[in-house]
Amino acid sequence: MSIGTMFGDIIKSLFKKPATEKYPFERKAEPERLRSKLHWEPEKCTGCMMCVKDCPANALELEVIDRAKKQFVMRYYIDRCTFCDQCVRSCRFDCLHLSNDEWELASLGAVPMTITYGREEDIQFLLDKKANPDNPGGHPECN
Amino acid sequence: MSLTLPSLVSILVFPAGMFLILLGMVYEYVDRKLVARYQNRFGPRWFQPLADMFKLLAKEEIIPDGVNKALFIFLPILGVTAALTSALYTPMLGFAPAFSFRGDLILVVYMLSVLTICLGLAGANTVDRFSLVGATRTLTQLFSYEAPFMLTLLGPALAAGTLQISQINAYAQDTWWMILTQPIGFLVALIGLMGKLELPPFDAPEAETEIVSGALTEYSGRGLALFRIGKNVELVIGLTLISAFYLGGLANPLEFILKTLGLLLVIALLQSLFARLRIDQTVGLWWRIGAILALVQILILVVGRLFF
Amino acid sequence: MQEKVEKFIVPIGPQHPALKEPGHFEFSVDGEEVTGATIRLGFVHRGIEKMTESRTWIQNLYMLERVCGICSHVHGIAYTLGVEKLAGVTVPPRAQAIRTIVLELERIQSHMLWLGVAAHEGGFDTLFMYSWRDRETVMDLFELISGNRVQHSVNLVGGVKYDITPEQKQKVLDGLNYLEGRIQYYEKIITTDDTFLGRTRNVGKMTKEEATLLGAVGPTARASGVERDVRVESPYASYPGHPVNIVLDEGGDLTSRFIVRIREMFESIRVIREILTNLPESELTVRVPRRIPAGEVISRVEAPRGELFYYIKSAGGENPYRIKIRTPSLCNWGTISSVAVGHKLADMPMLLVGIDPCFSCNDRLVTVRKETSSQTMYWEDLRKYGVEYYQ
Repeated sequence: MSIGTMFGDIIKSLFKKPATEKYPFERKAEPERLRSKLHWEPEKCTGCMMCVKDCPANALELEVIDRAKKQFVMRYYIDRCTFCDQCVRSCRFDCLHLSNDEWELASLGAVPMTITYGREEDIQFLLDKKANPDNPGGHPECN
Repeated sequence: MSLTLPSLVSILVFPAGMFLILLGMVYEYVDRKLVARYQNRFGPRWFQPLADMFKLLAKEEIIPDGVNKALFIFLPILGVTAALTSALYTPMLGFAPAFSFRGDLILVVYMLSVLTICLGLAGANTVDRFSLVGATRTLTQLFSYEAPFMLTLLGPALAAGTLQISQINAYAQDTWWMILTQPIGFLVALIGLMGKLELPPFDAPEAETEIVSGALTEYSGRGLALFRIGKNVELVIGLTLISAFYLGGLANPLEFILKTLGLLLVIALLQSLFARLRIDQTVGLWWRIGAILALVQILILVVGRLFF
Repeated sequence: MQEKVEKFIVPIGPQHPALKEPGHFEFSVDGEEVTGATIRLGFVHRGIEKMTESRTWIQNLYMLERVCGICSHVHGIAYTLGVEKLAGVTVPPRAQAIRTIVLELERIQSHMLWLGVAAHEGGFDTLFMYSWRDRETVMDLFELISGNRVQHSVNLVGGVKYDITPEQKQKVLDGLNYLEGRIQYYEKIITTDDTFLGRTRNVGKMTKEEATLLGAVGPTARASGVERDVRVESPYASYPGHPVNIVLDEGGDLTSRFIVRIREMFESIRVIREILTNLPESELTVRVPRRIPAGEVISRVEAPRGELFYYIKSAGGENPYRIKIRTPSLCNWGTISSVAVGHKLADMPMLLVGIDPCFSCNDRLVTVRKETSSQTMYWEDLRKYGVEYYQ
């Protein structure tokens, strides 16, 4: 039975550097396996849509322009992504991976949260398709 | 060392007015920083208490339904006034008190209690349940620590043979430090001060995990700022009194700063060392141990004076 | 006789500094003494069980990991164990070992967090800060193994995602060595510090009979001497090969709950070391069909707070037909209202936190049956009732 059992520890702390990390000023190295922003390599993609189907947060959209010519555009919503790594595991062709250093993803608006991966001309093709009102089923907001 | 100041200056600027409010903030900062360091944290930056105070003063003051409005506004002002008034009789910064008369110690002790009574009344004034429980606890605690705390301030007064703070201060400078001759009294006085300021582990009246903020739950803006100023001022005055009485008196500003900050170091240590006491444990502690210890100290003193 | 007694009720919650999640408690007090307690839950009902029915088996894993923020992995385990049983696959031994390691690390993390919260409720902020500082060690280990600190997502349906390399193994062992020392220190504090013991000893005393009667689970029950631990009763994952010793204490009060949780951390450390040194070599995953054969399964695991219960029913499709979750906090709530009476108001936060409540965990549908009759409602009736109720 005693009081003040933490005395030693407390006194030691007075002469010790605080344990708090001054985050924006001091950064620790990213852990090797940290899961942050998703990257997609269109060369290997076959458009099998497994990643889209398995994504628990509906953060991925894959538009297939021409499967044979490997013309795909992937839209990735970072704000929906939960960084669970499931798409990477579901992909049988190893074309998705989560980087481990792009984790400061805060933004003031929703626009930078949507990332479009793909070849320039494919993206342009899709944008043109959207802009063209004759195109059937081309709802720009909800595709 | 004695300085005479015009009374208006001494009331508004030094030692009572602006100076003491700022000094209170400095001491609050030091206290928070020390507790943080004891807990291995960084703690606030130097302007945090000032920023808090400005924020509170600028905020809207909400007067809840069901309170006596006049009392609601008047009580914090009275509390701060009483605390500031008592500063006039203490050797602030080691200078001679601005006012002094025979028996001013009694006045100061009562003035210091006015803030706590105001706090209790402010809590009882509202109809909020947390405030009511907090007010009950505040007043219960007042009755438990007050008697031992007063007795411990009487010890040095008895030794010095006077109830005038300036004379006790002068006497303390001439003799041994009274922390050596009256160690029990010093300990009880220090812990009594913590009880008075409702610092942990005696923070049952404002235990946030039980009754939110205790008696001050309904206060916002100016009223809350005033109560906090009052608490800070009391902290400074309490430290001044204890170091003047027990730590060999206060002769100059340097001595004042060293001794009061040294005391604050100990108080911050005690704050981070214990779990919060329940209100029944607090009362039990004070009446079963605190009061008896204080009485024993007084008895030893009286007996000692009779024989030597 | 008909004396009118006005009750002074102190409400705690839904928003209150003592509660980190919303719940509502009404304590009727006489002075400082509590004379009655009522509990109301349901502020954070998210409809997760219903949501699972419209997602695939794989998507549900991540949904269910989010039932609880503190013990996410154990929910994933309960779900994957059930699904793997339904699909009739056996997970490779190395995957099971890694699952168990993360399970036990999570138990340490959860108990450290609880220790801090409980200390904070008792006004012992220093212990709170120190225990959370040391909890960072476990969080760093999670980061090392899985990359994330809270939602580890180590599980896959049919295995685990991450292997433990020899370097990581060494780091985990180093972290555990540090933690063991610290936990021994905390054990000393909670069993010897008089101010802390003054707040915990003989508070919330619950006898073995009461604990059994009220259906307490986990450390709350074990602190009352009830031998109840799913890891021992029906071992899963790697527990058959590395048995856990049940940690019991007869006290039944808050001190016992502290002691039981602290000693469980030692037990967890021992089990992790044992598994890490005998890590079997095998694949990490096994193929699980996307359509789970029709059937139903009950899956029980020991979460840090007690027994976690999953009922999973498949109709043979890509989505589950029904998933029912019963979290340990729900079982333990009953103990509070009966134990609270007679204690001081100041003890209530500690008593509440003594069962390590997780509010969002247990906010799911509870059917309260009247003693005399039970009622079965079909979907149409329920719909009609709902429409009438909200008119």
